[in-house]
Amino acid sequence: MTAVQKRIVINKIALAFSTLSAVIALSFLFWILGVLVMKGLDALSWSIFIYEGSPPGYADSGLKHALVGQLILVGLATVIGVPLGIMAGTYLSEYGKNSKLAHTIRDISDIMMSAPSIVIGAFVYAVIVMPMGHFSAWAGAIALAIMMIPIILRTTDDMLQLVPGTLREAAFALGAPKYKVIIDVVYRGAKAGILTGVLLGIARVAGETAPLLFTSFNDNFFTTDLNQAMPSLTVTMFNYAISPYDDWQQLGWAAAFILSMFILGLNIIGRLILLAGKRK
Amino acid sequence: MASIIDIKEECALQVRNFDFTYKGAPAPSLKKVTMPIAKNAITALIGPSGCGKTTLLRAFNRMHDLYPGNKYEGEIEFEGRNILDPKEDLIHLRTKIGMIFQKPTAFPMSIYDNVAYGMRLQGIKNKTELDGRVEKALQDAAIWKEVSDRLKHDANGLSGGQQQRLCIARAIAVEPEVLLFDEPTSALDPISTQGIEKLVIELKERVSIIIVTHNMQQAARVSDYTGFMYLGDLVELGNTEELFVTPKEKLTQEYITGKFG
Ligand SMILES: Nc1ncnc2c1ncn2[C@@H]1O[C@H](COP(=O)(O)OP(=O)(O)OP(=O)(O)O)[C@@H](O)[C@H]1O
Ligand SMILES: [Mg+2]
Repeated sequence: MTAVQKRIVINKIALAFSTLSAVIALSFLFWILGVLVMKGLDALSWSIFIYEGSPPGYADSGLKHALVGQLILVGLATVIGVPLGIMAGTYLSEYGKNSKLAHTIRDISDIMMSAPSIVIGAFVYAVIVMPMGHFSAWAGAIALAIMMIPIILRTTDDMLQLVPGTLREAAFALGAPKYKVIIDVVYRGAKAGILTGVLLGIARVAGETAPLLFTSFNDNFFTTDLNQAMPSLTVTMFNYAISPYDDWQQLGWAAAFILSMFILGLNIIGRLILLAGKRK
Repeated sequence: MASIIDIKEECALQVRNFDFTYKGAPAPSLKKVTMPIAKNAITALIGPSGCGKTTLLRAFNRMHDLYPGNKYEGEIEFEGRNILDPKEDLIHLRTKIGMIFQKPTAFPMSIYDNVAYGMRLQGIKNKTELDGRVEKALQDAAIWKEVSDRLKHDANGLSGGQQQRLCIARAIAVEPEVLLFDEPTSALDPISTQGIEKLVIELKERVSIIIVTHNMQQAARVSDYTGFMYLGDLVELGNTEELFVTPKEKLTQEYITGKFG
């Protein structure tokens, strides 16, 4: 065999292996989705959206409490985390730039992004839940916001840096002060990218259980009191899934399905916005 | 020694003994530049790449201040004061001395909002006044006919040449005294280039213009005065015709006859 023939054979083997690996990895994904859709659709019904939780064996039980709780927790986390993330990202891109401080913040933020979420839950437990003396929606939302910030900070920083410097200069050349340049020109130019970062950030935390376990904890009943424990789809799903009751397990599958579709939807919208922005 | 023409008419700007050093650079990029800029005339800056044309141009509106650590020395006189003074109000200065860049810099907003941008910065909110001045600026920039029916459309939908004229409209809408052009046609096709050149010539009735160009024909076509720069020095400043036909400096002659550059 000549050297060239040898190379061709090696190439083919490598190609075969990598294709096989990709197929295996993807088939797991579709397997998970398939099971989820089958079990989830089976468990889904209108009563889920109408009734709150009830002890096992009752006919009128649903997920209304967890659905609303989930929306409140994620919504509150968004309200806290998005402005902080965007402002921090703006600082890095427009003010800090290549300074030591900016690089340090970027590094810390990257580390935070990979911190185990249960550690963040423990942190919020120590600094909020313990001093307050009880679980609360606030604590849960803050834990989620802490996870959201580094993601939004990073995308904002990256997206703002993609706006050409000459566009900033052109605004300065018209006599614009810096904050106007950022708001009028830089944010506008990076709108799609920032929005995508926000959606991906929300999607990332919406499926978290660990940070909520000992912050917002859980509840089987409907509540909108932010100072009390608040049910969420994720913790409810966790509790129902490990329970020995068949009807609770069914609700767990429904929760898993709704949650997955929500997150999948956010991801798809985020990517579509980015794609539309790029095409322009 | 440099050969600098003595301008008899009124001057818009007077550069005297101007040195400029970029942050961290071992040597100044501009050395002892002394240069009068005639009022209501077009002054072209030519010279080989890296000789300091852009650097000089961006000193006139203190653009270099956007990046900390750069150093100005000497004097640039404008409206009776030295604009290199650290206390100079840069926002005010930049409304008086506008700039057009090499690549069109249409903001990601509508055509109308682009032109109105500088006026709104100055606090003009009255819709009738804005409408009138936007139309006037677009007309003066010779682009009104092409865009009058789509003022609310995104400015990035325009062609490169149209965007460049939009940027000119945006700059003249705030009624500056001086306009700085840095190779405004180098990214454009010949037809658009012709349009911009014609426009620049029309504009000198109202503003004083400094234009950097790599294209000697362009300098000869549009400008009244031409400055030839080399390695951070202003080698010669003269009437455009004289400079191209009978240059006083040997270096100028070598450059315009294509011996280097
Ligand atoms: N930001 C900067 N930092 C340090 N040095 C710079 C910077 N920008 C330009 N220079 C240097 O200053 C000198 C003059 O550059 P300038 O951009 O003014 O040249 P130019 O005449 O406009 O050239 P061109 O025709 O290529 O546009 C060059 O030696 C260049 O390397
Ligand atoms: Mg240049």
